[in-house]
Amino acid sequence: MPASFTFAENPRASEIRLSVEQVSYAYSANPSQAPLFTLEATSFQARPGEIVAILGPNASGKSTLLKLIAGTQQPLSGRILLNGFVTHSLTPRIRAQRVAMVQQESPLMFPSRVWQFVLQGRHPYSRTLHFESDDDVLIARNALAQVGAEHLSDRWMDQISGGEKQRVILARALSQQPLLLLLDEPTLHLDIGSQVGLLDTLRRLAAENRYTVIVVTHELNLAAQYADQIVLLHRGKCLRVGPPSAVYQRELLEQVFQTPLTVESSPTGRPRVTILPVS
Amino acid sequence: MRPLTFQGVLLRCGILAFILFIVVVIALKLGAVPVSLYGFGLDLLHVLLRKTTELSSNYNLIVYDIRLPRILLAIIVGASLAVAGTAFQALLRNPLADPYVLGVSSGSSLGAILALILEPHLALPLAFAALVTPVGAFLGAAATIAAVYFLGRREGQIDNTMLLLSGIISASFFSAIIMFLITTLSGRGDLRGMSFWLMGDLSGALQPTLRWVLGIGFLVATGVIYTTASDLNLLLAGEKEAMHLGVDVRRVQLVVYIAASLLTALAVSVSGTIGYIGLLVPHVMRLIFGSDHRILIPTSAFGGAIAVVIADTLARTVVAPSELPVGAMTALAGAPLFIYLLRRKFA
Amino acid sequence: MRCSIRDQRRFVLRSSFAKILRVSLCSAAGILLFVTPSRTQSTVQTPPTAPPASTGLREVTDETGRTVRIPQSPRRVVSLAPGLTETVYALGLQDLLVGDTDYCDFPPDAQLKPKVGGAINPSLEAIADLHPDLVLVTKSLNRIETVNSLANLGIPSYAIDPQSVAAIISSTQRLAEILGAPEAGDALAKDLERRLAGIQRRVAPFPRRTALFVIWTQPLISVGKQTFIADALQHAGAESIIDSSENWPKVSLEEVARLQPEFLVFPDTHTETTPLNIESLADLPGWRILGAVRNHRYAKTSEAVDRPAPRIVSAIEDLARQFHPEAFLDQRDTSPDLRDRQDKDKKENDKDNVTPTNPVPPPSISKLSGAPLGFAAQNPSLAEGHACAR
Repeated sequence: MPASFTFAENPRASEIRLSVEQVSYAYSANPSQAPLFTLEATSFQARPGEIVAILGPNASGKSTLLKLIAGTQQPLSGRILLNGFVTHSLTPRIRAQRVAMVQQESPLMFPSRVWQFVLQGRHPYSRTLHFESDDDVLIARNALAQVGAEHLSDRWMDQISGGEKQRVILARALSQQPLLLLLDEPTLHLDIGSQVGLLDTLRRLAAENRYTVIVVTHELNLAAQYADQIVLLHRGKCLRVGPPSAVYQRELLEQVFQTPLTVESSPTGRPRVTILPVS
Repeated sequence: MRPLTFQGVLLRCGILAFILFIVVVIALKLGAVPVSLYGFGLDLLHVLLRKTTELSSNYNLIVYDIRLPRILLAIIVGASLAVAGTAFQALLRNPLADPYVLGVSSGSSLGAILALILEPHLALPLAFAALVTPVGAFLGAAATIAAVYFLGRREGQIDNTMLLLSGIISASFFSAIIMFLITTLSGRGDLRGMSFWLMGDLSGALQPTLRWVLGIGFLVATGVIYTTASDLNLLLAGEKEAMHLGVDVRRVQLVVYIAASLLTALAVSVSGTIGYIGLLVPHVMRLIFGSDHRILIPTSAFGGAIAVVIADTLARTVVAPSELPVGAMTALAGAPLFIYLLRRKFA
Repeated sequence: MRCSIRDQRRFVLRSSFAKILRVSLCSAAGILLFVTPSRTQSTVQTPPTAPPASTGLREVTDETGRTVRIPQSPRRVVSLAPGLTETVYALGLQDLLVGDTDYCDFPPDAQLKPKVGGAINPSLEAIADLHPDLVLVTKSLNRIETVNSLANLGIPSYAIDPQSVAAIISSTQRLAEILGAPEAGDALAKDLERRLAGIQRRVAPFPRRTALFVIWTQPLISVGKQTFIADALQHAGAESIIDSSENWPKVSLEEVARLQPEFLVFPDTHTETTPLNIESLADLPGWRILGAVRNHRYAKTSEAVDRPAPRIVSAIEDLARQFHPEAFLDQRDTSPDLRDRQDKDKKENDKDNVTPTNPVPPPSISKLSGAPLGFAAQNPSLAEGHACAR
């Protein structure tokens, strides 16, 4: 195994794993136009076992930030370090061994079975013309078990429900054995039960396997319940970073979400937001 | 959970190789002139034992110098087209893609026609005169590959939609020019052969140099595509997903595009446009063996070879001693098969 | 769980094994591909069953400018065009001919020769099986690919490409010389030239007719200036109105209507699946504009006119009779072309008559009160099947 991996096995797991340092990103539709800043200087840090929620309304720069963290786009300024390595400068293969992305799937062109799908997560570890080894199969099966989808193993991907598919996609990400788990609006098409189930799973996984989980969402209450840290974005600007209790201030949230609301304390001790109807 | 293993690939390829062998033996036997395979077998032995002076029977000329090279050419052309088809279907994420969708066949046909038009004006020794059409076709194909690539880029990277569009537009543009040339120059007798070439024709004998180029090109290009087999599996799930799973999408797209276009260009340069092989063989193999490219690519190669050998054998036997173009046979069989597959929705 | 060293080694081994195996399998196939042409080419030249052929080779330049090496006296010749087959028979050298195409039907004996397929798509195997030492081709009908494939097998091809009637005659002479019988060629050439001169004498005093040679009606296709067909029309005392450098130009009906040719010339196609129904031309849109159509001024001739063979002279005479019947008033016997046809039809009783049986009145009938009947009276066999004057 590459030597750099020993870094991750550092016994001092409370060390900073992900460091986002003053990153910004601009995008110009055509060369003559001035670039449009989709994200202005943003910083935060995350540790192993932590869940970070990137929160904000549409077009606040959430997805851009996630892509920068994933390393698929290069920040205009600043840098993102994962265990000391700049994510963007890693080769796609090494990067995929450390960062796993969970997002809505494009429709599959040719049907495949669930286990084939999950096994794809082992690709970053395979050499050219590699056929999956027994270890790979074991890891994939493990991943399915961790998300509670082992019984779906032989089913066809286009025959399972949305919630089940979400779990299978998560299982694929898990079989990448990453350090960082990124999720882009994972609760979008799920019912409440599945939403809660997914986030429970994420919390458990983060705790057990020491993943760092970064979730992009606009679900205020779910984020408050499950996240250890909130990064609040508004029109490309990072307004606040901190635990939910620090970030969920009424005036701040009203300004960001453009709607009257109240913030109170829920039975679990976390803030709870109630959207007030515009009378 | 039964993932693909190396032995699994080898076994399936072995079965197909055996089928191919049977088909080749039958193809050697059939033709306008009756031959006896027993005698041929004996003579093959003599050749391998280097006793060429003992070759007596005259039909060996038929089988050796005419049928066997033709069958081997059919194998390489069929395999090239099928592998190219598989690669393009994965690259463009489109089940209707075939090797000709990006305009390579029209470009090479145009190159061949231009070469035929220019040939009288170039003083070439006889040995090179026969190379004119294939070389012209290949140059036409190469130019098309480059043009479509540069047109199909967006922000410096291959964009599938742009690629497909530029390919289709190039194809129709070149076809229009070809139509124009054929009708205005229809008086010229030497263009009469173009109709055969445009339908796919394996009856032209190849120079040994061409055979070398074809064989080596096929091996290299197919090998290169095979190294990206698992990447292609992931690419089918989507470009972004593939990227997040560690696939260097840009590199894979470029490599596969060039290799698959090269395969198509080689095949088309020597045999014209044989249709339906690149489109249908991958689908049939997917039906039988699944869509994992590590098994799909080699089985498509064999499947394409088998299909073209059968089509070519039919082409030279059904109206013997006259010959039909191979493309006519593949179209006759291919169209109904296509409809059948459509109804099964590319399972 | 990380991959153990043992697994690492295993799949490194496997993947390289896979590569090696694949490469070796493909190389085996490739080697097989390339071992085949290593067979000695010289065995092709000596057919085992034929009498020892003359071993001398000579270099000639054929009519397309190619330099080919052919035997001094060829013994086994294959013809890949009907015109060439006819020429070989006309030269009396048919014993040299060991094979011809499916379409070689004249003279009737030619149909008994072994067939090798079509002119455009002959079977290489069938040709090779006949062990020819020379193959005859034409530039206009045959494909260069066929010639190249034969050359690959060591079988030389000689191509003719006559573009005028005079060229046909000299082609024939050259061909006779190639086949080792120059005297036959000279004799035939003299005869043909004599007949041509005779026709020339007859039609020279009369003004040239304008004619459109119709190869196909829909679309309308005629012949270009540089074809021997146009030249044949000239010899027959007519002029093709189409001035084009293409060989088979598509022409517009309007242009033809503007030029108003006096005659429309139709060659017989011997594939009589769809006999050109000339009579119904008047019903086709636009054709009534042509005076030739309204007055039924058609000239018909056999397929001899589009074959570059000696029979073209018969076709020329045939046409000349139709263009300038007044020049042939004194001649009571039938045209040689018609004689040829009679011979052919006599030998094929089961074949349908190739000529259309509709009686078509000859042109300018007022001038020739007696001549048509004279034809019929002289030749009773005419009256049976050939009601039209040809």
